[in-house]
This record gives sequence, C-alpha cells and structure tokens, in this order.
Amino acid sequence: MGDEKIISGKKNFILSGVSVLILMGLLFPLFWIIVTSLKTEQEIFQIPPTLFPKIINLKSYAAQLGTGDFNMFRSFANSMIIALGSMVLAVVLAVPASYGIAKYNFKGRKVMLLGFMVTQMLPVSVLLTPMFIMFRNMHTYNTPIAAILADTTIGIPFSVLILKNYFASIPKELEEAAYIDGCNRFTAFVRVLIPIAKPGVIVCAIFSFLYAWGDLAYGMTFIIDQQKRPITAGIFNFMGQYGTKWSYLTAFAVVTIIPVALIFIFMQKYIISGMTSGAVKG
Amino acid sequence: MLKIRKFFRYDNIGLVFVLPAFIYMLVFVGYPIISNIILSFQNVTVKNLVAGSKEFVGLKNYQDLFQDTVFVNAIFNTLLFTVSCLVIQFIIGFALAVFFNQNFRLSKAIRGLLMMPWMIPITVTGLIFKFIFGTDVGVLNFALQSMGLIQNNIEWLTTPGTAMLAVIFANIWIGIPFNMILISTGLTTIPQELYESASIDGAGKLQKFIRITVPLLKPTIESVLILGFIYTFKVFDLVYVMTSGGPVNSTHMLSTYSYKLSFEMFKYSMGSAVANVLFLILLGVSMLYLRTTTKEEA
Amino acid sequence: MKLKKVTSLVMATMLVTMTLTGCGGAAAQESTEASAEEATEASAEESQVEEAATTEEMAEEASASGDVTIWYYWENESHQKALDEMIQGYNESQSNVSVEAKYVPFADFKKQLSIGASAGELPDLVILDNPDHASYASMGIFADLTGKFDVSNYYEGPVGSCTYDSKLYGVPFGSNCLALYYNKEMMDAAGATVPTTWDELKETASMLTTDKVSGLAFCSLQNEEGTFNFLPWVWSTGETSYTIDTEGGIQALTYVKELIDSGAMSKECINWTQGDVMNQFISGNVAMMINGPWQVPTMRAEAPDLKWEVALIPQYSQYASGLGGENYGVIAGGNEAGALDFLGYATADEQVKFMMNTMGYISSDKTIAETQFTDDAVMKLFVEQMQYAQPRGPLAEWPDVSDAISLAFNQVITGAATPEDAAKTAQGTIDSIVQ
Repeated sequence: MGDEKIISGKKNFILSGVSVLILMGLLFPLFWIIVTSLKTEQEIFQIPPTLFPKIINLKSYAAQLGTGDFNMFRSFANSMIIALGSMVLAVVLAVPASYGIAKYNFKGRKVMLLGFMVTQMLPVSVLLTPMFIMFRNMHTYNTPIAAILADTTIGIPFSVLILKNYFASIPKELEEAAYIDGCNRFTAFVRVLIPIAKPGVIVCAIFSFLYAWGDLAYGMTFIIDQQKRPITAGIFNFMGQYGTKWSYLTAFAVVTIIPVALIFIFMQKYIISGMTSGAVKG
Repeated sequence: MLKIRKFFRYDNIGLVFVLPAFIYMLVFVGYPIISNIILSFQNVTVKNLVAGSKEFVGLKNYQDLFQDTVFVNAIFNTLLFTVSCLVIQFIIGFALAVFFNQNFRLSKAIRGLLMMPWMIPITVTGLIFKFIFGTDVGVLNFALQSMGLIQNNIEWLTTPGTAMLAVIFANIWIGIPFNMILISTGLTTIPQELYESASIDGAGKLQKFIRITVPLLKPTIESVLILGFIYTFKVFDLVYVMTSGGPVNSTHMLSTYSYKLSFEMFKYSMGSAVANVLFLILLGVSMLYLRTTTKEEA
Repeated sequence: MKLKKVTSLVMATMLVTMTLTGCGGAAAQESTEASAEEATEASAEESQVEEAATTEEMAEEASASGDVTIWYYWENESHQKALDEMIQGYNESQSNVSVEAKYVPFADFKKQLSIGASAGELPDLVILDNPDHASYASMGIFADLTGKFDVSNYYEGPVGSCTYDSKLYGVPFGSNCLALYYNKEMMDAAGATVPTTWDELKETASMLTTDKVSGLAFCSLQNEEGTFNFLPWVWSTGETSYTIDTEGGIQALTYVKELIDSGAMSKECINWTQGDVMNQFISGNVAMMINGPWQVPTMRAEAPDLKWEVALIPQYSQYASGLGGENYGVIAGGNEAGALDFLGYATADEQVKFMMNTMGYISSDKTIAETQFTDDAVMKLFVEQMQYAQPRGPLAEWPDVSDAISLAFNQVITGAATPEDAAKTAQGTIDSIVQ
C-alpha cells in the first residue's frame, strides 16, 4: 500500500476532484447509454446529436418488463444462478490449484500451468460445437448446469494465474509456524493461507462472477428455452433480423447493469476491505 | 508402500491441490481443442457436415489459408490490435491503480465505480461505441466539431484505418478496469514497511516506485500481461458488433474471420484452421512467457 | 516442454473425453438415433425406413402424433404473438400433435442450426430465411416434400428458394420484397416527381440532398443483408447474381459509386442495417430509401405524422427487386409426420391470411396475395413489386457468392477499388464456385 494514513485537507480536495474527472471521462459511454435510453427512436438519430433528451421517454423502460417470452425477472434469476454457480465452482477448484502451483515444485508443474493457459487459447466459437455434443451426452443440454460448467472454464485459468502470485508472495515461515501449531498441510492451507490470500480470492470470485454474468455465447447455445436463458440473451429482443431498436437496447443495458451495480455498491465495503485488509504485513 | 510414500513427499502433494481443477479443464476444454484440430485437417463443409465421408486433406486448409489475403491481413490486424490495446490499457490501468492507491476520501468509492464497464455485456458496449463513432449522428464527431478540432465529420467506421482505431479505442475502454483492479490488488501485497524503511534511507517517490513497487509487482504484472494478451488476441464480440470485420475486411481479426468462415459461409474446416493458427500463436507466446519465468525462479 | 509429456497429456485428454462423448466420429449416426428417440410415439416405423414413406397418406394419417418443436427467429412481438396464436389454434383443433415454438435469435440462427446439425439436436420444423434454405437442404437436414404440397399457385421465387436438386425441401411461409420509399414533403418542397428510371432517381436524389439530408439510402452492409439490397441494381440491367463482371454488373457498381461520390447517398450506408436506414428516414436524415414492407407497421407507429409513400424501385432496363421472406423446412428424422400435419393446417388459406396480415407480409400464394390488401395503397404497391422480385440463389454455396458480391460493392463505396476491378475480383470468386 502507498500511504496508509488518510489524506485530508487541500490535497484530499484536489485528488478527489481529479478522481471525479477521471470517473466522468471513463464512464462517459455509460452516461451515453443512459441518455440514449431516455430518447425516442427518432431523437437518437437526430443530427447533430442532443446531449440531453428533449422529452424524457420512459417507454423503452416499460417495454423491458415483458417482450414475448422474455421475462426480465426470470432471466435475472437465471443469470444469478449461472453466475453464482460458476463463481463458486471456479473458486473452489482454482484456489487449491493455484496454491499447489505456487508452493509445490512437483514434476509437470510448468506443463500444468501452460495447460491452464492453453485452455484459453481458442476462440469461443470453435468450442461451441464440441462442447454442445459433450453436454448433450451428459444430459445437461438445455439446463443451467451446462452454462455453469462452460462458464467455469473461463474463471478457473484466470483465477489460477492471478492467485498463484498471492500464494507465492506469502512467506514460508507463516506456513511453517502453522505446522508447529499442529496444522497439517490441508488445515494450514484452509486456516492460514486462504485468509492471507483473501484479497486475491475475492478478486477472482468477482471476475469469475462477471465473466459468467456477461457471457452470451455459452448461455445462448447450450440453453434453447427462452425461459431458462440468462439475461444477456434479452439483447436479441432488440437486435434482430431487420435492425436494432436502439432505445430499447440501451434501456435493457441500463436495467441489466443496475442490479449488478447495486450489489457492488452495497458489498463495496466488504469487497474493498477484503481486497486490502488481507495484505501480508512484513 | 514405500513407493507411494515417496510419491507423496512434500512437492508431489501439490498435485493433490492442482489435479481437480486441471482435470476439470482437461475434460471440458481438452476435447474441444482436439476435435478442433482434427476438424481442421478434414474437409467439412455444408455438404458433409451431417452425413457423408469426412476425408482427411492434410495441410490443404492451411495452405489455402495462406493464399487468402483476408486471412493474412487478419493475422496482422490481430497483432496490431493486441499490442496497441495491451500497451495502452496497461499504462493507463497502472497509472490509475497507483493514483487510487492513495488514501484520499473518494479513492475507494470511485475505484469501485470504475469497474462498471465490466458489468455491461460486451455486445452492448460494442453497439454503443458504434453509435458514438457514427459519422453524422455520433457524439464524438459532434464533440470534436464543437471544440473546433475538426472541420468535417470523420468517417470513423467507414474508412479502413480509422475503423481499426475505433475498435482499439473501445477495447482499451473495457481493458482499463481489468488492469487497474488486478494491479491495485497486487499493490496490496507489498509490505508497507519496505516503503517506510526506504523513506528512512532517503529514497524519493520515483526511486521507491522503481526499486520497490515494480520489482515486487513483477509476478502480477506478468500475469496481467499474459492474460491480457490471451484475452485480447481472441477478441470477438466487440469487433463483430462494431464492424463485423469491415469496411472491406480491414478490421477482420482471426476470431471474427474464423466465425465468418464457420457459421456464415459454412466452411467448418477452414474456420477451425483459422482458429488453430490463433491457437498456435498464443501457444508460442505463452511458452515464451513460461520460459522466462522459469529462468527467474531457478 | 518435453514432447513426451505433451503427448501423454494429449492421450489422457482423449481418453477422458472419449468416454464422455462416445467418440466424436459417431456423432452423426448418433444424431439420427437420438432425434428418432425423441419422437418416440411419433413415427417409429417412418423414421427407421425413410424410403418406405412413399405411401405418404398412410404414413401421415397413421403417425401424426407426439410433440413438434419449431425454431423461428422473429424478435418482433407481433410476429411472435401471431405465430403463438396460430399454434394455439392448431393445438386446440386436434389432440394428437402438440406444437411448441422456440425463439432462436436471427444473429444466432445459422450457428445454432449448424451446431444442432452436427450434434443431432434439431427441432422438427424450422422457419428460416429463404436464401439459406438451399445450404441446409444440401446439408441433408430437410425432409423431401416433393408431391406433398401443392405449390403450383405460389410465386416462382419463393418456390425456387425451397427447391434443391429439383426436389422440394420446404414450403414458402410468406414473402416480402424491396421498394422505394420517399418523403412526400421533401419531394414536394423540392418540386421533384417520383423517379422511375436510374437517371431520374439520381437526379431526384441530388435535388433532395442538403447539408443535413441525404437524398437516398439503402443498407449496404458487407453481408447478406447488404447483398439483398444491392442485387436489384444488377438485376435491373438484365444480369444475374452470377454475372457481375459484365457491362450491366459494372454499370450497377458504377451507379452506386456515382450516388456516393455526388453526396446523394451517405457512405455510412455500409454500416446501416435496414432498420437503421428506416430510422434515418423517419428522423428526416434521408429523403428516399430502399426498404421492405415489414417496416411499415413500425413507421406508422413511430412517426405517425411523417408523410411518405412508396414506389417501384426505378429501373435501368427492367424492374427488379429482392425477394425476402421465410420458408418452412421439415427436419428429416424428426417428427416428420407431426410437422407435416401442422404444415397442412398452417398453409390453409385462412391461416395464411391471418399470419400475412398480422405480420405485414405478402402471401407467397399468388391468389391470396392479390386479394390480401384492398384499401392499403402502400401494401398494394409491394404486391405489385413482388412480380419483379428475384430470389437469391438457390444455391448451396450462396453464402460464398453473396460474400463476393457484398465485398465488391463495399470496395466501390469505400473507394478501395474501381467498379471494374471490384467486378473482376467478385467474378473470379463466383466462377470458382459456380461452374
């Protein structure tokens, strides 16, 4: 960590000001999504563009509640199940794996590390058909399990590569102290090492969740029933054969971001403290 | 018995931790990788996808590909795209991580908010950037004109060179939070005491950064860059939505071209071959990465 | 990396996955078995010995039962509701077959069908875009419907698109085509008249162009959608989709180039879908556009005050338009009998009229089409335009041809190649596909 003590006074004021400017700059596209969602379809295509909608048009939001078979709330629940399932699976498998890779110099360690990376090297489009055949034979086609299993294949390698650095940075002495206290390898791992690596674990959990949340290809391909599909599939209700319904699409984006953003804002305290408090001292 | 015990001496216990995840990946991605390699040596098209003989044609698909200018350009495009994105988003992400690592009042809240681009489905991000870069209705041209920076609207997405710039720009936007958060958390593993003792020794801020921050962050930086390379190199949704490889194939990446061959033109084997070229390049880069890290650790 | 290790890794992977997948190579055979299983009650006899189904009537009557799944891609709510209503009507009309429709987005439709075909996980009936029909027919996933449906009264184009190797592999669902839309107020203000020839169109487009308004727009994306909008210009010169490097083909490319160069058409058309073009039109950024009848309901709802009319696409030496619309395709080895029974219901006059009118489509059945719209001048014009509508293909390799053509006009529009060079390149690709 840079400076532990809280900066205050004039410096705080300047830094906060700068950070707000950075925020505004970086989140402009997000602002533009919100503005666009409040315009009518005609105003969206006006030349030159208007920075704020002339009339606030909420029709696009009303349309989100139900379009054909698409149900916002049900899709949201589907996405939550898929993203949480995949997050848990990825963390449960990746945390021990990254610890093993970081702390043990067994034979074939490098091959395995490369192996984890190799799995990320093909574009998703060519994975779809073989995975589809596999899931069909496992009788998980058209269930959330297929999407969870597929999404986890993104979360695991990512987490292993990030987490191994955390475990590697933990001094051997800590582990040895745990053995002296009567821990065996596994209890030492669970009671001592994981808590120390907590910031990394939390980051990996977040990314695994977000990868699964944002996934479209797997969820669309392995789940054919509209009622079971994740929320991202809703995009296609506004992006179809004859073009894009911009106002609806952007409203859809806003509606899908809000719940995730809320979770992040409410959990921020825990996430941030988790990300920073576990830091190795000394 | 002795053999087993010998196997489970200290280092090999690591296998017990690693294997579950490894086997998982082997099962779910190993088979697709192998089946894709096989497919690329066959001649599967629309006519023999379902039934009929799938004859092995050896390297023919690959030979054909290297005669195809779109493919050769796609390799170049993908490299250009990846390197530009990686360098720029890493520098900005690093700078932001260091900036927000200062403990001013809004630092944590705003750092959290900067994760927002990651919560938007990439398809939507692509569409919104397509709109921002529009020639007449795009807000970017409008802004540039209002500031007097340009006279006439720039045809961002309808001119080959600028279309590439636009997709790179959009991808950097998505990549910044990724770099920032991972480096931020990496910074937390650096013991505070090191900085304090360095201060006592009279080290300046820059010196502390070069002597302490960078070396200790090295493993994190390497992981971020190699992961970033892999993810950027196989970019798909963003480019597909923003330009679909156009105008005139000028922004085709290996992944978008592979998709086009497989699912739009029904040339399944050719599509696989393109994907495998992408795969081989990534494999090469990753082995290079592993080789350098091995040396250091040894 | 030691080679040995890598090989053993590969071997291990293969072992593990073989057990899971039952060996990839067998997937094709498995597929037919699996889909047959699904249609258990449906038609055990029929799917086992497909050729034995020559005794059609018997088979149909004996085994029309079970579930029928349909894949379709209309995201439009009114389209979905119409389909649901028709299906409900069918399900209530009898008790043997139960039909269910599943929505697969347009952007994913081809991919899903390809993957489903290689994995043997297909529905029993699909409603698909007509230029793709030949490709899937050549894939062998469709059942031969020759002699099972009377299509003699249908327009030639739609029937042609269902035909492959002179066999009927589908039934036209409904059709549409392209026509010229123009903004009446802009036209009157500029004192222009409705153009009927290329020269008049160019002149009118220039008259209507201001610094904020483009005279003409049509979707020129480098994909099937763009090809659909470009080909009418080629056909109007008397050439075909396969003869681009000809006087007429070059003429068409040159014409588009002139429109772009004169500023009468915006270069941004290469990024606009037909929906975007329509949005530009109703926002007043475009004075004339080429578009289809499916936009009519949206335009009337979104811009009720806008005054616009439609006309035939101006001609060079003959009228031409692109034929759009969908076909039904029955999946071979699925619940064919059930699907056929449903098709019998869906293609009856009453149902066709209902679907076409709700969806803003034109029936592929000439007799129905001609009486379909009595007091809607716009739709009547589209019916008139239908007789000049030509299909794309039918050809199994149509996506290749289409790709070559769309590259050609994109090169010309962006200035990457001259019309002559672009035509030559395109012709080279086309000739390598079509002997």
